[in-house]
Amino acid sequence: MADDRQSIDPSAMFADWVTQWERAVDNFSNDVMATDEFSRSMNQMQKVQLDMQRVFGDAMAKQLANFNMPSRDDILELTENLREVDRRVARVESMLRKMQPEGDNNSPSHRKSPPRTKQAPKAD
Amino acid sequence: MADTIDAGMVNQMQELVDKTIQRAVKGVQFLGSEKAQVGLTPKDLIYDKGTLKLYHYHPMSDEIYRIPVILVMATTNRGYLFDMLPGQSFVEFLLKNGFDVFMIDWDPPLPSERGLGLADYTQDFLPTCVDKVMQQTGEDDVNIIGYCMGGVLSLLYAATHTNGPLRNLACLTTPVNWHEMGLFSLWSDKRYLDVDKLVNTLGIVPADFIERSFEMLRPAQRTAGRMRVWNEMWNDDFVRSYRAFERWGNETLPLAGEYYRDTTRDLMWENKMMSGDLVIDGKSADLANIDIPLMAVMAEHDHIAPIAATKPLLEKISSTDTHELVLKGGHVSLVAGPNAVRRMWPAVNQWLGARSV
Repeated sequence: MADDRQSIDPSAMFADWVTQWERAVDNFSNDVMATDEFSRSMNQMQKVQLDMQRVFGDAMAKQLANFNMPSRDDILELTENLREVDRRVARVESMLRKMQPEGDNNSPSHRKSPPRTKQAPKAD
Repeated sequence: MADTIDAGMVNQMQELVDKTIQRAVKGVQFLGSEKAQVGLTPKDLIYDKGTLKLYHYHPMSDEIYRIPVILVMATTNRGYLFDMLPGQSFVEFLLKNGFDVFMIDWDPPLPSERGLGLADYTQDFLPTCVDKVMQQTGEDDVNIIGYCMGGVLSLLYAATHTNGPLRNLACLTTPVNWHEMGLFSLWSDKRYLDVDKLVNTLGIVPADFIERSFEMLRPAQRTAGRMRVWNEMWNDDFVRSYRAFERWGNETLPLAGEYYRDTTRDLMWENKMMSGDLVIDGKSADLANIDIPLMAVMAEHDHIAPIAATKPLLEKISSTDTHELVLKGGHVSLVAGPNAVRRMWPAVNQWLGARSV
């Protein structure tokens, strides 16, 4: 009786309960989702969503064009151009680092690689 | 006796009160904290092309193995899974054990990259990275460790580049039998999934679509994780690790549409890695073409790439030097959890180290 009372740990009990709850919910959900009917409904819903997205996207693009505003495609193109600019700046920085004097140990071109002489680890 | 019981109970009560106070104090800090700092091991970006990034980590050993190793990350997730936190990093472990480590990591594909397919990943990205690594190191051969889809890309690269510079390959939780992908196989049933409509409408398959698919496999996982972290809020190590993994899970990547279409058609529907019928850019990508040493690591309780999907790998290849390691744990904990630290990392170190000289 005394041992039982001493071993009560609410935190551990809660952790056990969470694990059991998680397992029960996941198992139940997986059983439901593992049916042909679920797969059919899910994909049907996805098709409807895609249709709506396309129709809404087209309508939105027309409206934005009417208001002389950039469309989603314009913004994506801008993002891509900005990433390309970032990439070019990084390349220039990297080239500048390579041109730094020998004393700069942080420069990748000046960092000496250790010798490639390491032998195979001993078998356990 | 009664005094002992009372003392024990008092201690327990004291501990409970302490934890409750710490939980409250640290909970407030937790809510206001910034994103977890991850992927901190020093590295250089040595090649960058759209979605592709190739990093070279700074060596941490006085002497390194002759053959460099390239980690190939899954295309759906950020590569810092291999470099979560100092002391909980596969990259750091490899560096300290004398490997010269490179990593192929992915950014979200650009809108102009919607047309990238399996051929681009396996016949352009991987071979280019292998060339870059050979140039950087001056060595004629490389080793590869591929994780999940990164393992699939590595296998397809290996199968189409026989007699190439790839010396050894380790595949972690890499699906081969795509008809055994559990719920993913059911949900992508070709009678119901209109992959052409999906790809043609979206161009790039959005990250939330991918993330939702993963979450649907374990619907209670996120809520249970939050309950666990609340319970363990007083435990700094637990919270630090939770935040890193939560960040990683939230940073799922979108996929190039063609790549998604190729994967769905050729792998998920036609199961061509199993049948050996996969042809990429006119080359046979039959896994039987692979005859280099290969290590296959798989997780017993993997809910993303179930063991039935990963297990047939060694049967499909022609290599005679093979090693299979089945570990307890799941898809992520296999490479970054406690069991990874205790078993997977040392096993890879032993196997690959012996073949890296």
